[in-house]
Amino acid sequence: MFDVILANMPFLLEGLRMTLLLAVIGILGGTILGLVLAILRYRRVPVLGALAALYIETVRGIPLLVMLLICFFALPALFSYRTTAFAAASLGFSLFIASYLAEEFRSGLRAVRPGLTQAGLATGLRPGQVFRLIVLPQAIRRAIPPLFSQYVRLLKFTSVASVIGVRELTGSALLVNARDFQPVIILGCVALTYLVVCSLLSFVGRLLYARLAIRS
Amino acid sequence: MNSLPLISLDHVSKSYGANPVLRDCSLKVAPGEIVVVCGPSGSGKSTLIKTINGLEPYQSGTIMFEGKVVGARSTDLPAVRARIGMVFQSFELYPHMTALKNVMLAQTHVLKRSSEEARARSLELLAKVGLSERAHAYPANLSGGQQQRVAIARALALDPIAMLFDEPTSALDPEMINEVLDVMVSLAREGMTMVVVTHEMGFARRVASRVVFMDEGRIVEDRPSAQFFEAPDTERARAFLSKIIAH
Repeated sequence: MFDVILANMPFLLEGLRMTLLLAVIGILGGTILGLVLAILRYRRVPVLGALAALYIETVRGIPLLVMLLICFFALPALFSYRTTAFAAASLGFSLFIASYLAEEFRSGLRAVRPGLTQAGLATGLRPGQVFRLIVLPQAIRRAIPPLFSQYVRLLKFTSVASVIGVRELTGSALLVNARDFQPVIILGCVALTYLVVCSLLSFVGRLLYARLAIRS
Repeated sequence: MNSLPLISLDHVSKSYGANPVLRDCSLKVAPGEIVVVCGPSGSGKSTLIKTINGLEPYQSGTIMFEGKVVGARSTDLPAVRARIGMVFQSFELYPHMTALKNVMLAQTHVLKRSSEEARARSLELLAKVGLSERAHAYPANLSGGQQQRVAIARALALDPIAMLFDEPTSALDPEMINEVLDVMVSLAREGMTMVVVTHEMGFARRVASRVVFMDEGRIVEDRPSAQFFEAPDTERARAFLSKIIAH
């Protein structure tokens, strides 16, 4: 019954590798961009803070598929560069998830008690030092659980990349199915694989949170 | 005693919108003096001491510390703050750092001490407040009294020449109040200049050189503590004292 899976194992594993690669790139890119956006917005940096807010609200209002299509077709046309489906998907996922991660970081920042900032300032630390040494480390710790649930969402979202032709797990499975037509087994195995990988990712998140949690 | 004031507030006023919180407050604190500030809640005591190190801005009047105007553009505020230790009502220890790291942080980042030097000084101060054993504990694993003693050590770590205490025992369970007051009394005995907002009248009676009584943003009385406790000048101070010492 699982012959179709075994026979296509190398091909499907290559798809899984692409899925993981897309997720890792999206997580890294999105986290860095999201953190920068959150800091600009939280610290009300003139002009850039407002632009960050505009970016976040705009991107949160755009469907993921549209975002990928923009990165695959519109941006290259607008700025006249060549891109690949994989590069466009990596960019699209990073830009997309960053707007959600930014808001998670910002809630973390806002949850840090203002008294701690006062305490830091009272010892002669400069506002930038207080932010970097006291506020930010706590905000990041607080943000770990919601960040990881966004990471898990992103991991599942990577399947959308198949639409612009990236041969990740879902895209590869569709190709196998088109040839051998065994949708129940093939899609069942694909779903199960996502489930396992997502569970692992949220387990890592829980582990990290337990290690770094602010004991209170 | 040197009569040149270390801290001076001269006709300081502050308001939040139309709501005045400090009205024309003047106060001088000489080196080595211990001034207790008391008064009903909402009278502006906390705001008053937070203006001294610039945590609260003020709109008119002048505050000087060591001859520098607090809040002036030309004054390096962080440098002024590093000379004044402050202890808060709710401790405000950094929850992601151990007691030791809490005490070390400003030493390495403000005074630029090496981390060995800062560690040695921190351990010394933690010993002074009776917490050598708890140096590696996180704030959440310390009792309120222990947290407040760490906070005092953190403030002392910059070798300040004055200390501000903003209701340091108000958030503590009764059985922990004395362990904090004991540390404060020993600081007072060492000659530290202190401004203390507190309702602990026993402490005030024992160590304060002066008592300042505030009401509705005004400094209503400012008298040597013996005189204040014997016979307050104003009816408001008398009523306040009888309420908090009655039982």
